Amino acid sequence: MENFDEHDAATMRRAALECEAIAADLERLKAMIADAADRLTASFNVVGALESRAVRGKAEQDRLAGALSNAVTALQFQDMANQLTAHAQRRLGSLREALTKLSDGVDPLLATTTRLQPVRQAGMGAGSIDLF
Amino acid sequence: MQSILAVDDSASMRQMVSFTLKGAGYNVIEAADGQEALEKARAQQVDLVLTDQNMPRMDGITLVRQLRAMHAFAATPMLILTTESSDEMKAKGKAAGATGWLVKPFDPAKLLDVVKRVIK
Repeated sequence: MENFDEHDAATMRRAALECEAIAADLERLKAMIADAADRLTASFNVVGALESRAVRGKAEQDRLAGALSNAVTALQFQDMANQLTAHAQRRLGSLREALTKLSDGVDPLLATTTRLQPVRQAGMGAGSIDLF
Repeated sequence: MQSILAVDDSASMRQMVSFTLKGAGYNVIEAADGQEALEKARAQQVDLVLTDQNMPRMDGITLVRQLRAMHAFAATPMLILTTESSDEMKAKGKAAGATGWLVKPFDPAKLLDVVKRVIK
């Protein structure tokens, strides 16, 4: 490893620690999202169960059905957010490992990525459908 | 009543799928991964399988491949509902014997439309 001194090694060790801290933040984010999703789903289930019992006019019934339908699509965010954060954590783990090896003077041969990004959606609009 | 095996490791996803399908009159059997789904499918015939792709123990494509090898599931429609949207993954699903590929998040009305079209 050419032009590599103790200062560089210390910087890389700090960067590796930063990766670890970011991964821990992502874990907390996942827990918060899971908690929010559980609470939202519980509320959704209460409203969903009441839907069939309430007596209303057709317009109001259609409005409620539409709102529930939109909620079903939006409440899928937890699964997508989980997969995104898990992927980011895997990549951070690889980066931290590479930085630690570099700080020890070992060429880490960092892999490009552990696997392809499983979530490419940028929003919560409904996804595509292909029938074979 | 027609039965649908809904497979996803996310509890919230299973709830949304079940809410949608039960509301349309289907009986829903839930499984948290491909392995559990395979065990339930061995014990009970269903009219359609709706499975996630990325799951612990057994993924959706492997589940489809294993079910297709079973005589009882040779003609059963199987849909993969996943965040994965690459053509490469879709091709793998098709090769395994999947009937269709749906990218999350799903719209309830569109999901029900597809289910009605493929279920026998």
